[in-house]
Amino acid sequence: MRYSFYPGCSMEGAAVPYLKSLEAVAGALGMGIEEIPDWNCCGATVASGVVGDYPAQVLAARNLALAEPKGLDVLVPCSSCYMNLALVNRKFLEDDHFRAMANDALGAAGLRYNGTLKVRQIIEVLVKDVGLDRIRTKVKKPLTGLRVAGYVGCQTPRVFPWEFDDPEQPVYLDRIIEALGATPVKFPMKARCCGSSHSITRPEITTGSGYSIITCALEDRAQIMVTPCPMCQMNLDAYQGKVRQHHKLEASMPVLFITQLMAVAFDLPPAAWAFKYNIVSPFAALERFGIKP
Amino acid sequence: MTERLKYDAGFAKEIYALENGHYIKKCMQCGMCDVSCATRREMDFSPRELFLLMRAGKREEFFKANTIWMCSTCLMCKVRCPRGVPLVDVMHDLKSHAIGLGYADSPQATFYQAFWQEVMGRGKVFEGGLMARYYLKRGWSEIRKGFEMRDLGMDMVKHSRISLKPPRTIKGIKGMQAVVEKARAQMRKEVGG
Ligand code: SF4
Ligand code: SF4
Repeated sequence: MRYSFYPGCSMEGAAVPYLKSLEAVAGALGMGIEEIPDWNCCGATVASGVVGDYPAQVLAARNLALAEPKGLDVLVPCSSCYMNLALVNRKFLEDDHFRAMANDALGAAGLRYNGTLKVRQIIEVLVKDVGLDRIRTKVKKPLTGLRVAGYVGCQTPRVFPWEFDDPEQPVYLDRIIEALGATPVKFPMKARCCGSSHSITRPEITTGSGYSIITCALEDRAQIMVTPCPMCQMNLDAYQGKVRQHHKLEASMPVLFITQLMAVAFDLPPAAWAFKYNIVSPFAALERFGIKP
Repeated sequence: MTERLKYDAGFAKEIYALENGHYIKKCMQCGMCDVSCATRREMDFSPRELFLLMRAGKREEFFKANTIWMCSTCLMCKVRCPRGVPLVDVMHDLKSHAIGLGYADSPQATFYQAFWQEVMGRGKVFEGGLMARYYLKRGWSEIRKGFEMRDLGMDMVKHSRISLKPPRTIKGIKGMQAVVEKARAQMRKEVGG
């Protein structure tokens, strides 16, 4: 199982714990991940709002052109990166006119993309390639009794509705939580929007969403939340103090990347948990599994 | 919008000519996007109402509404629209068209442009650089708001979540810029704009 790996800008910034835990977990599962050489920003949810869809898609496609010589599926953990790379990849497959135009543009840097790769989100790879059985065999510390809210976030399940998962009530993340021995709670808000980049321009939108999402998880008696999305993690973890300032939160909710919880269940060393980066401490919730600072 | 609508095709034509603009023709005003939208409560007009404004030719109201800037790209409306209108892509077009026309006063428009400058400058987005660009452009009132977030910033620093030094500019930055410029030129030619 080898993949070309697209980390995205956030993994070099606020989502460092995602990168650290993911590298360790991938190693434990026998997945080889090879970073795309000289990759560039996917454009996030922003580039197309400045220059329009087409130039933003070509910008994202540069990464696929750089990855193509290896011929490996492209593994993408971040939801916005996944959305942009997966959508442009499909355009290369399905739209001849687009492919010709885009290759003309890529030619300005001596690049070309033939559309031979698959773009894969990490949750899908964990369920479909690695498989839940293999994940189960790696669990050394079953998280029995731990109630986990699986927050998928908005984009991942909706890029290709039903091809990937249920676009509104996705289940893949919950299956992974189960494989770790933990209990996924119902959590109907698991695919609602976290407020995205409003955190900068209108933070009260993000804290409002954060309040509803965390409250929903608490109502289902979740003790911890996990997510595959860097933006969601940041908005719910780093902004939780702000949520508390403006709303009445019943309890605090540690928000981990799914790979951080996997690192715990696989009994990997503390460096792989990467908990020093978490702003809301997960130690109280994980204490009974012998997880200490 | 309680007054009776008079349709005015001129403005709609301008919008239909955008990259994904033609999809709006399929909108049947069912309101599914309104009830699905994550940020509807923050919007001056819902997406459906915005399309109605367009059909009525209400150009100023259309561009001055905060609707497009409130869209967080959550994709819910795109998944649910019974007519298959890819609202998110339409929102992209409307944002970039608005910026092009100079309707770019909102903090979001500043943020978007700051982000784009980061991408084009180093090929990646450095959070510190993005914030610096954003606050410099917005000026004092926003800096004061940013100041209210300082405890959050301190938390981020304490937990090493903010990298203080920017990532290295990608090696192929010149090539990347050339690719984007070429794509923009192609698009201008294709839509005749
Ligand atoms: S859901 Fe689609 S058809 Fe219905 S009002 Fe919105 S854009 Fe129009
Ligand atoms: S994609 Fe934008 S317009 Fe559509 S539901 Fe989400 S926030 Fe609302």
